[in-house]
Amino acid sequence: MFTRVAAIAVVASTAILASLTGCAGTPVDSTTPVVTDVWLRAIPDIEVDGDMTGMFMTVENTTDEDVYLIGGTTDGTYTSDALDAHEVVEVDGEMVMQDAEGGILIPAHGTTQLMPGGYHIMFWNLTQNIPVGADVHATLNFSNGTSVEVHAAAMTVEMGQETYVPNGSGMTP
Amino acid sequence: MGERDSRSDAGITRRDLFWGAGIAVGSAAIGDRVGQVVRTTEFETVVGSAIEPFYGEHQAGVRTGMQAHGVFVAYSFSTNCNSETLAGVLRVATSEAERLTRGEPGLSDTDPELAANPARLTITFGLGHTVFAVDSGMGLSSQRPIGFDELPAFSFDRLEPTWSEGDLLVHVAADDPLTVSHAVRHMTRVVSSIAKPHYAQRGFVRAQGVAPLADVPRNLFGHVDGVANPTTDAEFDSHIWAGADAGWFAGGTQLVLRRISMKLPEWDTLGSKDKEEAIGRRLSTGAPLTGKSVHDRPDFDAVNSRGLGVIPEFSHMRRAHTGEGRQRFLRRPFSFDDGFFPDGTPNVGMLFAAYQQNTTEQFLPVQQTLADFDILNLWTTPIGSSQFLILPGCDAGGFVGETLLG
Repeated sequence: MFTRVAAIAVVASTAILASLTGCAGTPVDSTTPVVTDVWLRAIPDIEVDGDMTGMFMTVENTTDEDVYLIGGTTDGTYTSDALDAHEVVEVDGEMVMQDAEGGILIPAHGTTQLMPGGYHIMFWNLTQNIPVGADVHATLNFSNGTSVEVHAAAMTVEMGQETYVPNGSGMTP
Repeated sequence: MGERDSRSDAGITRRDLFWGAGIAVGSAAIGDRVGQVVRTTEFETVVGSAIEPFYGEHQAGVRTGMQAHGVFVAYSFSTNCNSETLAGVLRVATSEAERLTRGEPGLSDTDPELAANPARLTITFGLGHTVFAVDSGMGLSSQRPIGFDELPAFSFDRLEPTWSEGDLLVHVAADDPLTVSHAVRHMTRVVSSIAKPHYAQRGFVRAQGVAPLADVPRNLFGHVDGVANPTTDAEFDSHIWAGADAGWFAGGTQLVLRRISMKLPEWDTLGSKDKEEAIGRRLSTGAPLTGKSVHDRPDFDAVNSRGLGVIPEFSHMRRAHTGEGRQRFLRRPFSFDDGFFPDGTPNVGMLFAAYQQNTTEQFLPVQQTLADFDILNLWTTPIGSSQFLILPGCDAGGFVGETLLG
């Protein structure tokens, strides 16, 4: 049974500083990237669809400094593993995904799109199915020490099913 | 106004330009520059950028002024569809549809460039009978709205399974065919985890900018269709939208979608007088045979010198007439023209979409009267029939279907 929380996109975007000082809900720290349009690939059946998935979003950096999206954590509902920041690159003519070294760049005053076939936040070792419409929680961590709480709606997508290649070794999961 | 600097238009929405200023420019152009196509950069995207609101008490796509292109896509549920998976899919389908109607790509859109021109796009969701069947596994059999009963077989029906039934309806319409195609493709992806396409029935009316908005649409017989439609809030509340007493279904409406094949070669052998008497209206103006203009009330008591009804007993208008009574429903017909059958006869007709509070009280008796006798049956054959509950609308943050499944 899913929660009845409004599913799509965004949500509470709260600087760590703000939450530490008990100010959640107050205007966001301007150094915190703005995360919108969050969703992830539904995995209706782990046995059939595999036990990993990717989360996608738009991240805007309004500051003068480059920031990196370095990974995240979840509330443990669907995986107890940490979330990794991934990129998809071409290796020997084949598109493979791997850890984004140092994180996913969100350029100063720029926007980065995480999408199937490109940058994504990786969920490993799913412990239960993620049906379409499920509301999936994550906390995203950035290189400048800020973090953002997001809720993503699970959706069907057919693209971007690359092989995972740890450290570019060519190993498949 | 054609020379007007577009930069001075601040405060006027593009919609205003389309419905107001755009029309003024059109008529000025006819007077001043006969024979020339007038195109200015100001107006060339007014059709494409127009937006119909998505959220509200009722879904868009019912009371909405008809768009040029419409398609009814029916899906069949997969075995894994239950009330929980259906709720999840409708949740994301709602938010994805809302984005598309604003000209924003869906989040999982594989072709975001195709979403840029909404052209009054509406995406309307409905559920078929199977949802409420005792053996559906949905557990919703006690939730079936009053009057949403399966229609009986009519004597003139030649229904083909290809064009009938369906578990889930996504009705997509816009003033641009590429926008419609893209929206259908994306919504099919969005629902694909629980439902597979059963049919797509495509139809059309006139494109925007071709005829005055006040014109009643014409069907392929050349006749106006939908003259007696309800138009006011009060009429929609009393005849079309389910009321507060409908519980979870309040704000919804019941759709009967009939695919009507037209025998145009036979129709074409008729003279104008026969064509007019078959319907009971004049071809030129659309006026009843007893009146002068299209919205004149038909006088069914008027008789000619031989004592016969001026509007013949056999005419479609007389047989289908409901007046202001309980049976009145909303007609929203699209024409279809799908080319030719292998024997050379045209594959043409009408997607007859009828919306009402209560199918059994409103649509059924009218349909039975037509089935019993209607001269138009000589040139028409129903070849498909589907019934859907058009779900109530929702507000931002909610989803279509939440009152049933949330």
